[in-house]
Amino acid sequence: MAHTIIFQPDGARAQCADGDTLLTVSGGAGIELETPCGGAGNCGKCLVRVENQAMSAITEPERESLSTEEIAMGFRLACQCRAHGDMTVFIPETSRQSRQIIVSDGRAVSGRLKPGLACLILKLDKPSLNDPRDDWQRLSEALAARDFYNIKIDYTALRQLPGALRAGAWTISVVLWQAREIIAVFPGEKEKIYGAAIDIGTTTLAGFLGDLTAGEIVAQAAAANSQVRFGDDVISRVSHCMMEDDGLERLNRAIIGDVNQLLERMRAKAGVDKGDVLDMTVVFNTVMHHIFLGIRPDWLGRAPFTAAVRGPLNIKARDVGLALATGAYLHCLPIEAGFVGADNVAVLLTQRAAIDDEQTTLVIDIGTNGEINLIGNGRVLAASCATGPAFEGAQIKHGMRAAPGAIEHLTIDPEQFAVTLATIGRENGVKARGICGSGIIDAVAELRKVGLLLADGRFNKEIDCPRLRLDEKGKYEFVLVWATESATGHDIALTQKDIRAIQLAKAALYAGARLLLRRMKRETIDRVILAGAFGSYIRVESALAIGLFPDCPVEQVEVVGNAAGVGARIALFDVDMRREAARLAAMAEFVETATDPDFQNAFASAMYFPPWPEAGAARGIL
Amino acid sequence: MGNEAIFQKLKTAIEEMDSDMAAEGAREAVAAGIDPLTAINEGLSLGMKTMSDLFDEGEMFVPQLVVAAQAFDAAVAILKEAIPEEDKDKANRGKVLIHTVQGDIHDIGKNIVKTMLSASGFEVFDLGRDVPVEEVVTQAKKLKVDIIAGSALMTTTMPSQRDIVSLLKEEGIRDQFKCMFGGAPVSPEWVEKIGADAYAETASEAVTKAKELMAQLGR
Ligand code: B12
Repeated sequence: MAHTIIFQPDGARAQCADGDTLLTVSGGAGIELETPCGGAGNCGKCLVRVENQAMSAITEPERESLSTEEIAMGFRLACQCRAHGDMTVFIPETSRQSRQIIVSDGRAVSGRLKPGLACLILKLDKPSLNDPRDDWQRLSEALAARDFYNIKIDYTALRQLPGALRAGAWTISVVLWQAREIIAVFPGEKEKIYGAAIDIGTTTLAGFLGDLTAGEIVAQAAAANSQVRFGDDVISRVSHCMMEDDGLERLNRAIIGDVNQLLERMRAKAGVDKGDVLDMTVVFNTVMHHIFLGIRPDWLGRAPFTAAVRGPLNIKARDVGLALATGAYLHCLPIEAGFVGADNVAVLLTQRAAIDDEQTTLVIDIGTNGEINLIGNGRVLAASCATGPAFEGAQIKHGMRAAPGAIEHLTIDPEQFAVTLATIGRENGVKARGICGSGIIDAVAELRKVGLLLADGRFNKEIDCPRLRLDEKGKYEFVLVWATESATGHDIALTQKDIRAIQLAKAALYAGARLLLRRMKRETIDRVILAGAFGSYIRVESALAIGLFPDCPVEQVEVVGNAAGVGARIALFDVDMRREAARLAAMAEFVETATDPDFQNAFASAMYFPPWPEAGAARGIL
Repeated sequence: MGNEAIFQKLKTAIEEMDSDMAAEGAREAVAAGIDPLTAINEGLSLGMKTMSDLFDEGEMFVPQLVVAAQAFDAAVAILKEAIPEEDKDKANRGKVLIHTVQGDIHDIGKNIVKTMLSASGFEVFDLGRDVPVEEVVTQAKKLKVDIIAGSALMTTTMPSQRDIVSLLKEEGIRDQFKCMFGGAPVSPEWVEKIGADAYAETASEAVTKAKELMAQLGR
């Protein structure tokens, strides 16, 4: 039995089968709802209001996230509520996914140009009755004359060969991959060949199209990873693959589709033909790596977190369904260990100069999954930190991603406790509708600074401040934006529970860094490199104020943007860097925090905010 | 020092998260010939109860619980040595086998639950983490526990909880044990769906649920 669902205020209509969730139906109607938990029912973000009773009963997760008032008003979670008749569904502003802002520029790449491809222009003798050599033999011998022996030719290139030779009047350009295989042929003299570098993040993708002849980027683009609707973090993606019969296939199709779209957009921008994109480097975390390649990620989801393959891979792009030149290879950078993936190796490529330094550098790449490296004195230590998505606004009552309407920065006046906001899109009059990671870190740091937050994460109730109040559940919260000033018509607040979630997340990172320091037999860090989109937005002073990572002079903290993307570009333009990446991956010492007997204490003490309480230190907690 | 003063010291040691003080109190209790179980119940457990209440109210958080649990364990270790073999079963609310499920290495929450259960008079056997399903069932049979408690912190390892229930059914011994599961991604729906007996969101709720399960068993 089919039902008609009308979505307001859009007025969009959709047909659905009996028992479909409103989340599925809204997706079909082109309305994207916030689903950081992947529709598991525990984030409470896909709130909608329904008009009639033709639906399934309230579920336990809904009872958890909704107040009795909300339930009485007809609010439901779209992922839980199933249609059993025609319905009208109202979608509040806060439940909609808005376009995300993505940093993908990183820094200018200063590297060498030594691509893995050579484009050779050869002038061959025309065949005649006296010289009846076949086309391939003729080409092979011409190559041998230029000192290229035992060269293979890709089957699809071979099919192009006879036509190309004749169309170019026996002048032909052959694209030689790593001096081993001809992957494409073009008639006449080919002037430009291109390659792509792609960074596949759990949440976002960044792509770069490079001119391999001139060594410059001709186009770049970013996009959201459309797997996000199957869950926010890598583990939810793995569980999707484990639980659903065609889960892996679906996730794989989603990501390959995303990458192809990204490639197409960049080609259109730069006016480049598909057949001219002849090389590609890809970096990603381990789970994205497996899913992208269509390899079952199931065993990455449980101890001992074993990967199917760690080393670098060269794979025909067509085998994974990528829209490049038909004979092109893609190069996947190696995985370091467990959850420390190729994206981290790419970051290391950009920081390789620091490895032999006497100084100790902490490299932090905070995304949905956090990776940290401690480098210096010829060593590279690596660990994966389960920060979780709190820094991306998930698990936070009024949290959201960095998108228009998100509070990205704020300050609190120490006298009156007035809050000054910087909201994304404020130039266009956009009002606040939530708070994103960088704003949350500012909020905690400022609350700490003005004394409203104690070192152990409790609100300081001694201070008289109207913004510090009890919520409907009798728990303390701090009002950042009053209803009259917000886009939602509700107060935007940071709750005690939100602070707790931030404490867990930042403690995971801090404790990881501490264990690495100890392994390196060092007390302090000389430099910090903050990589990743999130790292670009956070205010360094605030990060230090909440103790996101061990203390370091502010001026020694460097924000480098999407370093993984930069690393992918370096490896695109310079084939030696692919070998260097393999070397770095092999030399990195993976520190398994899970089995470290000291982790629990390091983690527990890292939950405090600096300055670390004397009492705690005396008791040996710290 | 009178018994009351020693109980008070044990309680305060937990509330102040002071392992040294807890150990000292435990030694004093042993020296004074106080029944170890009484020392746990009248001293340490009351302290743990304070901490757990404060946690529920948002006044305390994980670090305080972790450290308080360490103080608790330090004192219990000393007191336990003094318990005569034949008394070990006495005043015991029930036997619980606790573990972090197969494939999972997160055990901070499990350790807190373990301490709270011991503080409430349960005899708790801890198998550690990443414990194979078969091992859980084998040990449950061997130790003749009342409750099997399992923690899972990842959506990918929750299925191990289901596998425990399935294996118990397969072996025809499902009704010999109560199954209680928890961990951040675990929900009451999940626990119901896999046919387990109880879910708890926090360590203090785990104690309440464990007591309810014992009541169902008629003990
Ligand atoms: C600490 C931590 C770790 C530590 C674990 C240390 C240890 N010995 O336990 C370390 C750093 C080792 C770790 C590793 C990993 N982690 Co981790 N980790 C966390 C973190 C930050 C906190 C978990 C915690 O201890 N909470 C505090 C305790 C007290 O709470 P709790 O466990 O929920 O327990 C309470 C209740 O649930 C309940 N309860 C618990 N157990 C039980 C049992 C029963 C029977 C009952 C009734 C009740 C009950 O009572 C407890 C007390 O109130 C969470 C993120 C977060 N913010 O929650 C991620 C998190 C659990 N980790 C995660 C992941 C993925 C990992 C990794 C697999 C990969 C990674 N991203 O690093 C690695 C694996 C190790 C490896 N080889 O790299 C994910 C899981 C994602 C998912 N969708 O399931 C999380 C959610 C973070 C994230 N989103 O990425 N992690």
